[in-house]
Amino acid sequence: MNKLLLLFTVFSFGFSALSQDITIQGFVSNEKNETLPFVSVSVKGTNNGVRTDFDGNYSITVRDTAGLTLAYYFNGYVKQEILVGDQRNINVVLVSEIQDIDEIVVVGYGEVKTKELTGATSKVKGEDIEKMNLARMDQALQGQVSGVNISTNSGSPGGASNIRIRGLSTFGDNDPLILVDGVVYDSEGLNALNPSDIKSINVLKDATAGIYGVRAANGVIIVETKNGKINSKPKIQYNGYYGVQQTARRLDLLTAEEYAVIKNEAFAFGDQEMPFNNTALGVGTNWQDSIFVSSPVQSHNFSMTGGTEHTKYSIGLGYFTQDGIVGGDKSHFSRYNARLNLSTDITSKLKLNSVFLYSNELRNTLPESGIGSVLYNTINAFPNEPIRTPDGNYSYLEEVSDIINPVAQIENQYNWGWADKFVGKEEFVYSFNDHFTFTNRFNYNYAQTKGKVFSPLVWYGDGKYANTAVNADLESPLVEIADSIFLERGASVYEERASYIDLTFESFVNYDRVFDSVHRVKSTAGISVFQRKGESLNGTGFNIPNNSLDYADISANQAEGGFLNNVNSWEFNERLLSAFLRAEYGYKSKYFVSAILRRDGSSKFGGNSRYGLFPSGSAAWLMSEENFYNLDFIKYWKFRVSYGVSGNDQIANFAYRALLNGEGVYVFNDIITQGVAIGRPSNPDLKWETTRQFNLGMDLTAWRRVDFTTNFFVKNTFDLLFQPDVTAILGSYGAGGYPPIINAGDVSNQGFEFELGYRTLPGKDLFASVDLNFTTIRNKVTGVPSGVDFIPGASFSIGGGVATRFEEGYEIGYFIGHEMDGIFQNQEEIDNATVVQEGAQPGDIRFVDQNGDGVINFNDDSDRTYLGSAIPDFTMGFSLNLKYKGFDLSANLYAAVGQEIIRNYERQQPYANQLGYVINRWTGEGTSNEHPRLTTGSTRNTIFSSYFVEDGSFVRLRNAQFGYNIPKSILRKIKVEAVRVYVSANNLFTLTRYQGFDPDIGASNALSAGVDYGFYPQAKTFMGGVQITF
Amino acid sequence: MKKTVLYFGILGMLLFMNSACDKFLAVDPPYTQDAENFFQTAEDYERALTGAYDLLQGSFMSLWIGEIASDNSIAGGESVNDTQGLHQIDEMTHGGVNLDLRSLFRWNYAGLTRANYLLENKDKIDFVGKDVIVAEAKFLRAYYYFELVKFFGDVPLIIDKRIGIEEALALDRTPASEVYAQIETDLTEAAAVMSYTGLVKGHATKGAALSLLGKVYLYQNKFVDAASTFDQVIAEGGYSLIGDYSELFTAANENNTETVFDVEYSGLEGGGYGCYICLEGNAAPGFHGIRQYNGPVYGDGNSYNLPTQDLYDAFAATDPRRDLSILDLDAFIAAQPNAESISYAIGAGGHTGYYNNKYIKRIGEIGLPDNDLTSPVNYRVIRYADVLLMAAEAHYQKGNTGLAQQLVNQIRSRAGIQGINLSSIEDIYRERRFELSGEGHRFFDLVRTGQAASKIPGFQTGKHELFPIPQAEIDLAGGNWSQNPGY
Repeated sequence: MNKLLLLFTVFSFGFSALSQDITIQGFVSNEKNETLPFVSVSVKGTNNGVRTDFDGNYSITVRDTAGLTLAYYFNGYVKQEILVGDQRNINVVLVSEIQDIDEIVVVGYGEVKTKELTGATSKVKGEDIEKMNLARMDQALQGQVSGVNISTNSGSPGGASNIRIRGLSTFGDNDPLILVDGVVYDSEGLNALNPSDIKSINVLKDATAGIYGVRAANGVIIVETKNGKINSKPKIQYNGYYGVQQTARRLDLLTAEEYAVIKNEAFAFGDQEMPFNNTALGVGTNWQDSIFVSSPVQSHNFSMTGGTEHTKYSIGLGYFTQDGIVGGDKSHFSRYNARLNLSTDITSKLKLNSVFLYSNELRNTLPESGIGSVLYNTINAFPNEPIRTPDGNYSYLEEVSDIINPVAQIENQYNWGWADKFVGKEEFVYSFNDHFTFTNRFNYNYAQTKGKVFSPLVWYGDGKYANTAVNADLESPLVEIADSIFLERGASVYEERASYIDLTFESFVNYDRVFDSVHRVKSTAGISVFQRKGESLNGTGFNIPNNSLDYADISANQAEGGFLNNVNSWEFNERLLSAFLRAEYGYKSKYFVSAILRRDGSSKFGGNSRYGLFPSGSAAWLMSEENFYNLDFIKYWKFRVSYGVSGNDQIANFAYRALLNGEGVYVFNDIITQGVAIGRPSNPDLKWETTRQFNLGMDLTAWRRVDFTTNFFVKNTFDLLFQPDVTAILGSYGAGGYPPIINAGDVSNQGFEFELGYRTLPGKDLFASVDLNFTTIRNKVTGVPSGVDFIPGASFSIGGGVATRFEEGYEIGYFIGHEMDGIFQNQEEIDNATVVQEGAQPGDIRFVDQNGDGVINFNDDSDRTYLGSAIPDFTMGFSLNLKYKGFDLSANLYAAVGQEIIRNYERQQPYANQLGYVINRWTGEGTSNEHPRLTTGSTRNTIFSSYFVEDGSFVRLRNAQFGYNIPKSILRKIKVEAVRVYVSANNLFTLTRYQGFDPDIGASNALSAGVDYGFYPQAKTFMGGVQITF
Repeated sequence: MKKTVLYFGILGMLLFMNSACDKFLAVDPPYTQDAENFFQTAEDYERALTGAYDLLQGSFMSLWIGEIASDNSIAGGESVNDTQGLHQIDEMTHGGVNLDLRSLFRWNYAGLTRANYLLENKDKIDFVGKDVIVAEAKFLRAYYYFELVKFFGDVPLIIDKRIGIEEALALDRTPASEVYAQIETDLTEAAAVMSYTGLVKGHATKGAALSLLGKVYLYQNKFVDAASTFDQVIAEGGYSLIGDYSELFTAANENNTETVFDVEYSGLEGGGYGCYICLEGNAAPGFHGIRQYNGPVYGDGNSYNLPTQDLYDAFAATDPRRDLSILDLDAFIAAQPNAESISYAIGAGGHTGYYNNKYIKRIGEIGLPDNDLTSPVNYRVIRYADVLLMAAEAHYQKGNTGLAQQLVNQIRSRAGIQGINLSSIEDIYRERRFELSGEGHRFFDLVRTGQAASKIPGFQTGKHELFPIPQAEIDLAGGNWSQNPGY
């Protein structure tokens, strides 16, 4: 080819030398840097024209360039004309003319053009996910679409996020149904999915998700992986980056000197001897410095895509590895991915679509988010204690019970979780004719997981809960297995093997025909059979030799006679049998109506209510297609409405039956003896949760540059799957016992969301796009089970009572406690107060008498009040993309505003370290009206009150990226098609008033959201990367 | 077009077809014994009985409330938030919202439900030894009901069956007298089958059943029945007081001749704060322990249930039971050779300087981590000294003063102090306090003997004799139960 080109060029030169002809050459590509073959290049107003070759090169000969214009045209792209002037080398980028509204969107069991959609959906392109350079799709999705709120469960490598589509609708499982190429993925399993493999994500937010029936109530996320293109030559790509992560924030904790001074004062207030004679202790130990590390993250992805006349393919290979900013490789995630997407025409009527995804992952974890977590220990460890004592041992921090040396804790933590996952689909699509296709597909999702926990003999100091040895010499505890027969426990290893397999068979027909050129009829009907099986075998081996990691395997156990070792297993099986119908009708591309009916049978429920019927309907009106419509600047204007019923069956299997899985254990003859007890009473009437959702929406495009979509919705969920308290006389509150799961309680979510996008018209040097999305949701519990006032949620401090609730009239998990009204400045103020606050002393928090009875009541709810909730008032995503010639710049901002966080990482003990704000405490009249006095004596300053509730609003620059495309002219010499290099940063800044590590705090349990126990923060990451296309 | 119709027809049929689907969806839990197919073998009965015993291990809560509500001790702990319910009880400000009372209510109902589950199925099969298993189940049911009636008065009486939610909503509180009648029946029937000796350690004996029966009579002021029942235990049971009072509460000296009924604990299983009723260890000794204590003899703990100055002062200085029941910590430390190196902390939940020296974490009686929760020390529900004192009380009330005095002086002589001449019933009451303080009996003794109002600050007659039914339980049972008077 190149030789030919050379020859051609030589000829042209020869020719031009004779007749003064001028050759203009260059190449043509599209916005994605893909070269475009067969593009027509012609001299405007003449018949003189050529086409680009297979590599997108062209060369055209003209007589004269004065006033000459070249026109570049290719089907599907915007025609471009360029005034030649003095240019002899013209490279052109053609811009696709397919507008967003003509894009195909995948909905359940079918596809539809955006223009014809009747439901509320949001689409995200794969590149917008990939660009974020994050390990998980859910992390990357944060702030990208309206109506979807994503909060982070943990910033540790491999940590999951919560995806909440249109609010919290239940007490239990709020996770949406996630389908990857039609295969069910649970959100926990998202670690296996490589964000680089994603072509697009489409979120079904309203009742049209009802095509998925009993699993659709929390919304549906449809992920498509990348595939190839018919008749395209192989394109090989490499994407890689390397980054360094560090903590975005450290807490302001007391130095040793500050600590000593403040503790002396607190002890004095408590009428106790001051513990520090000498307070000149300097800075002391900075425990945060000892546990936060700077750690690497890197990712490498190869892909090859292409196609022949009858086959298209896409192959991907990926590797990702990340160490934690706490604990380094003790908090680690790595993943290998392989992917093959293949579509081929077996015959002219039969097509095979095949997807195969393989992943192998490893995650190491440290104790997180709770009392006993590394960060909780770090915050509360006091600064006058060295990390190691002079004899080289880790210090014990003995003055504070429950707090152990976090450095020692990290060192002694050995936790591995591996998973191998095979996910795939074989889909046969048979086309009877142009209108009628019959699809049969078989999906599988097989996961093999392996876990190991090594618990060496360790000693953290007297009385520490985490001790596994009996003393500092690491002697093993003895276990009496029979009268006076003692065995050494030693170090132990727990291992688990589990496998899960999902099999789905789906068969459906799609019908699509236009009658009389105005009536378009579409229909889908089919069945789906789903089965999930899981089984596990696990065991613990004791007395691991030498207390050594080298022998950390059950096979190495030396438990005498194997007496102490134990094994366990479990197995489950769940099934879903469904049938669905969808009928759609469109008139003149103006009016669209659609109706869905789905019937599900679920093995999760008993015979009394195993089957559910889920209908929904939707309609759209393209006002801009009407004859009377004459607004020129808005070419596309659509209204949508939908209403429907969907379900949620996400509860444990066999919840409707009474099993003997309680704990009935007693001590006879000094031996722990196993008996039986009923665990959870039965409820044969158990059924799914029902969600009814109404949506009103509008889409428009103005001036070809501005897209606007807005939705208003009301989403009511009934018959929540609940395990509320039941009367004690049922007898279900023994050990291992729990109340039956029942259907009770209602939740309402009302919201408003919009997406606003602006992009410059194609063809200019400067390309700019700005996208803004906004969501506000009002969440309210509208019913609780009869006899239940509220469902208690997370507790505050140690034994400090319940701080969050599920209660009628409030948001799910709202905070309730006493309200602070400044500080009592002196005794007079207390004596003269109209409200009696028992035990108050100058410097104590003054509480608000909510019920006005003149007494602050600490024993009941009468003076407790609403103190906030973890649900934001609104969330916003903002993204900016700029491209100028070879340069590109992008930024993603996410804001969540109006939510509160409970500061719950302070161990309220005399010797625990404290945050720097205590420096501004009350020390005498007029010194502070915000921070109460410190005392080790009896005080109510430590009960849950608004003093511990902080504003959790934040704005975060999630990602900023600056890239440069190396010019083609250079690349051609090295036979590379495109190279982009970039620098990128995640979480560069966060604007917040919150004092903790990270305001982006989620929890899978809706009632513990917003309670900060020392959250593992998301890292601030600086990355450099390269994308090469061959 | 015809084809289309055909396909839609078939799919439509599939959509609404049922029978084949039912079979596909009726999945049974693999390898699992169900509540309904149990009681097939003798072993099944034994395992169900073990399950019914399990709830005895919540005894530490009765112990705490029995002491903290009385003049014997204060709640203590890390702060006033630390087990708030106990602090409220301490101050006599407790109401219908009290997590600790609710736990107690729940656990005892769970216990009797497990006994009922066995008794409901008692006729399924026959085998040798079934009568003893059934007798023990009755004993346990009586034990749990006695706890309930003692704390709450009238409680719904459920016998030999499990109930569903609908049935629960229809139940009302059964008058205490009827509950007591059932307890008496169960214990009488149980005692008739049980034997005094030859049992596996931990199982209830005939002596346990009769002593509990005597106690139940005493609580109803049925002094004649009480006296004769205790006489039977004293005559037949073969019990005797052990020589050394200081040995009574050690793990090493459990199940001695003085043991009538113990709740058994083990230090060999770890535990967590999330579920106290799941523990196999006794939570009381660890919680009674000295906060962040670093020194000899004792382990560190959570400074709960701290004896009052009033209790300490009530003892004669010569009574060795004072220091064996109450640890005067500073005095103890001062007496140690290395006093300066011994340290401890004071909880913000209250401090008296005294600790419960009967149930306290001692070095050598420490279970697995977290050893605040895993003490192997048994709870002495009824020991022979208690039987003798209860017998003395019953006989005194009957007019048999001489026998009563002789019984009381058995106790005093074992303690190593001089006998007394009984001048009034108060002397026996006082002796009960000296002998049994820190063991969870005091509040109920004060109530049943009418002394509570004079001894407990804040105690209101006509109200505080009973604890309130947890408000949540009233609501959950349909809201029809009346609350106890005054709450």
